[in-house]
Amino acid sequence: MFTGERLQTTTGTERYMISNSDIKKLLGRDPAFDDIMCSLQSVPRMPRGIVKETRRVMAYVRKFNDEYVREQSLDVDRACQEQDDLLPWDLVEEANRRGLYSMWIPRLFGGRGYNLGSLSYALEELASVCTGIANVVGVHYLGVTVLFSTWNMRVINRVLRETVEGEKTGKPCILSLAITEPSAGTDVEDVELVDRGTVTCFARRVKGGYVLNGRKVFISMGHVSTWHIIIAYTDLKKPSENMMVCAVKTGTKGFSFGRKEHKMGQLACPASELLFEDCFVPDELVCYDNLQTRGCRSSKKKINRTLINLILSASRAGVAAFGAGVARGAFEEALRFASGTTLDNRLLLNHEWVQCMLAEMYKNAALARLGYAESNYANGLYGMVKLLQKKPLYYMTKYTPARLMDKFCAPVMNMNVTTRLFRKIYFDWIRDEDLQRATGWASLAKFSATDLGVTNCHMALELMGQAGLRHDGRAEKHLRDAKLLQIYEGTNQLNRLTLFDCLIGRSTPGRSVFEE
Amino acid sequence: MAIIDSALKPFEELAHNFARKELAPNRETNDRYPFGPLFEDVLDKALGVGFFSLMLPEELGGVEQADKTRVLSSILDTLSQVDASLAGVLLTHAMALEILVQAGCKELIEKTAAETVVTNKAVIACPSFSNPSETGHLPRAQKEADGYVLTGPVEYVVLGGFSSRAVVPAIIAAQEQYSFFCIDLADSRLTKSGPVLSLGLRACPAVDLELRAVPGALVGEEGSGEDYFRRSSACLHVAAAAMASGIMKGSFDEALSYTRERSQGGRELIGWSEVKSMLANMAVNVQVAHMTTAAAAEAVDNNEPDCSLSAQAAAVHVQKLACDSTTDGIQLLGGYGYMKDYGQEKRFRDAKQVQCLLGRAPLKRLRYLESLINR
Repeated sequence: MFTGERLQTTTGTERYMISNSDIKKLLGRDPAFDDIMCSLQSVPRMPRGIVKETRRVMAYVRKFNDEYVREQSLDVDRACQEQDDLLPWDLVEEANRRGLYSMWIPRLFGGRGYNLGSLSYALEELASVCTGIANVVGVHYLGVTVLFSTWNMRVINRVLRETVEGEKTGKPCILSLAITEPSAGTDVEDVELVDRGTVTCFARRVKGGYVLNGRKVFISMGHVSTWHIIIAYTDLKKPSENMMVCAVKTGTKGFSFGRKEHKMGQLACPASELLFEDCFVPDELVCYDNLQTRGCRSSKKKINRTLINLILSASRAGVAAFGAGVARGAFEEALRFASGTTLDNRLLLNHEWVQCMLAEMYKNAALARLGYAESNYANGLYGMVKLLQKKPLYYMTKYTPARLMDKFCAPVMNMNVTTRLFRKIYFDWIRDEDLQRATGWASLAKFSATDLGVTNCHMALELMGQAGLRHDGRAEKHLRDAKLLQIYEGTNQLNRLTLFDCLIGRSTPGRSVFEE
Repeated sequence: MAIIDSALKPFEELAHNFARKELAPNRETNDRYPFGPLFEDVLDKALGVGFFSLMLPEELGGVEQADKTRVLSSILDTLSQVDASLAGVLLTHAMALEILVQAGCKELIEKTAAETVVTNKAVIACPSFSNPSETGHLPRAQKEADGYVLTGPVEYVVLGGFSSRAVVPAIIAAQEQYSFFCIDLADSRLTKSGPVLSLGLRACPAVDLELRAVPGALVGEEGSGEDYFRRSSACLHVAAAAMASGIMKGSFDEALSYTRERSQGGRELIGWSEVKSMLANMAVNVQVAHMTTAAAAEAVDNNEPDCSLSAQAAAVHVQKLACDSTTDGIQLLGGYGYMKDYGQEKRFRDAKQVQCLLGRAPLKRLRYLESLINR
């Protein structure tokens, strides 16, 4: 209030006045206003319909939890422990029946067109009951995200319309994403590391396409997916400049599944090995390579970095939502236990130390949620979904009748010029600082939310004692599930370095990352 | 006279060789229980080498009273570096036996000592993951002409599906304090659940029991259960800390070995300073755990005035360190650490399971403060 008065005073206190250039200078200083005020800037620009949609999505998923997920989650987890090679076909079919695989596919491609931000809230809801089943839904959208990040509208249109068709026919057609290789987990997540690592998935150019050879590991939902979005390299000596993305369908000659990994948790979601042996990928299924981006002004390495960072900005927000979900799930189990257990003839819930413990857990879940929400806002302002959240495009895609959309919009999507336009916008015109904000916030959200998720699981088990150790107590499953969140989509250590790289000490002379 | 540390060597070597030969080759298979068989052959061999006799009174073949905490801790620590499940079995048996010792149940102890061939008769089950005074629903004991009968549920009785006898707590009608009873697990009035699928120590399994007028032999005196538990727990807290300490060592060794072999960003993983920093934290935790456990074991064996406090503090602190360290133990191996192939994920689960031995962690902290105030 005091400051406000001075700002308006015109006599005697001019020296306290602040000019626009001062504001720009002061707020450009770290932490810059644009770095830390994503939600404040994003919310007024968002279409109002997003709130209503998000409410609907959350309620829809809670109903799914009540009707199916809660009942199935322990049984599936137990069955997967009993039989190492069990695959979750029933879960995939149920999610398919409920429309969860097209729910966040834009209507331009035949999907139901819910805003991508609402996917995070859905994932939190699902993960609050079972992170494994949350992945059964979420991993598909990881594949969708990568497909989108290439902006190859023809391939996007073809693959996603098959998913939509799969819902109509009752035959699930879902996507997986394959990046990780046996000797390169962290290295393939960062363009600055990949040249120093050992990547082996080689795409050799041949007439009419590529021939793939190599192995991908830890590929979530691999065995049960129909389409696999593969990141390979056309030159293994310089992968940072020679990345290619392609779509390979299950059943393609030269492509097969290896072993299903024996994981500690998230057992509803299998981790698969994908094997490529002289697997021919025709040009029409190549989503992205150096040949396709010849018209772009930016360097190959910069485009690859942009593409990887756009993907990770979206996917890491999703993993953060899993973290928030598991933090909440652990909290809810602890609350349930404390509400039904006595200690020293008093309800456990009524002991002060328990109340403080539960408050701490509630806080952890809330902070995890705030983290991924802020990352979503950053993505809406600066990242992959910034166009889709522009009001005209949002309302056009939301309210245009499907028939008209298919008749007029779909052909436009298939035009090369559309792909070129999107690539221009995202690969050439995107500003470094915008990409850094989206990437930095995604990393911050990812490692914070997943650490908080693991913390809550530990706390739940400590509160519950032997009741928490039992499989039927649910808390131990949350802990097993949560631990993986600190590892995939880049270990939390890598994400800390990414945050540093994107948002910390940028003006310090001589600063470097991955160079020690 | 207490043995000097070097005298622990033979026990450590025995445990080390046993772990290397009997536990390491089948760690993943044994951990599949209850979806695979229980490692009864390993339990038989453990009986054969005398692991189950350690806690017996000296005259019945146990180690010297003044050495038993250190010997037990040393063995559990060493075994747990490879696979903590057998250590969990030994600790559970030790707990049951120690309660009998504290209660002066000579006859029951002699009966146990006499059994040297049939393992399930030599090993006593008990609910080793709870402190009975923190359990809201203990079974009721009714005094009858020829003894007591017990009715009600007993949850999470470790080895209850394997052993022939168990020591369980129950409350005698009209009494406030609980008592311990020895029951026959083959009794037809007793119903056992299937094996409880648990987070960790899966080859140290538990079952739930439902008792319907099951005869029970009173252990010691009526209403003295809490006293026996408290007196037993000093040694057992240290033993549980030793298990946590061993798990940490195993996790650290695995992480160190992996980070020396694996490359990332064009150099050995261990060449990155953040990796070094995490390993350094683990190494410090391992050393602190080792020192804390050793000091507490010595204090208990020497019956020092505050030895019970030392034991409680060691358990609470080392078990927490183990949870922290084993999570980093997985992290340093990345995706591989999460898979069953390297054993790190098992150590992570086992460490959390061990933290619950003898009761809930927050309550163990509160009990420590009570002990401190009331000493």
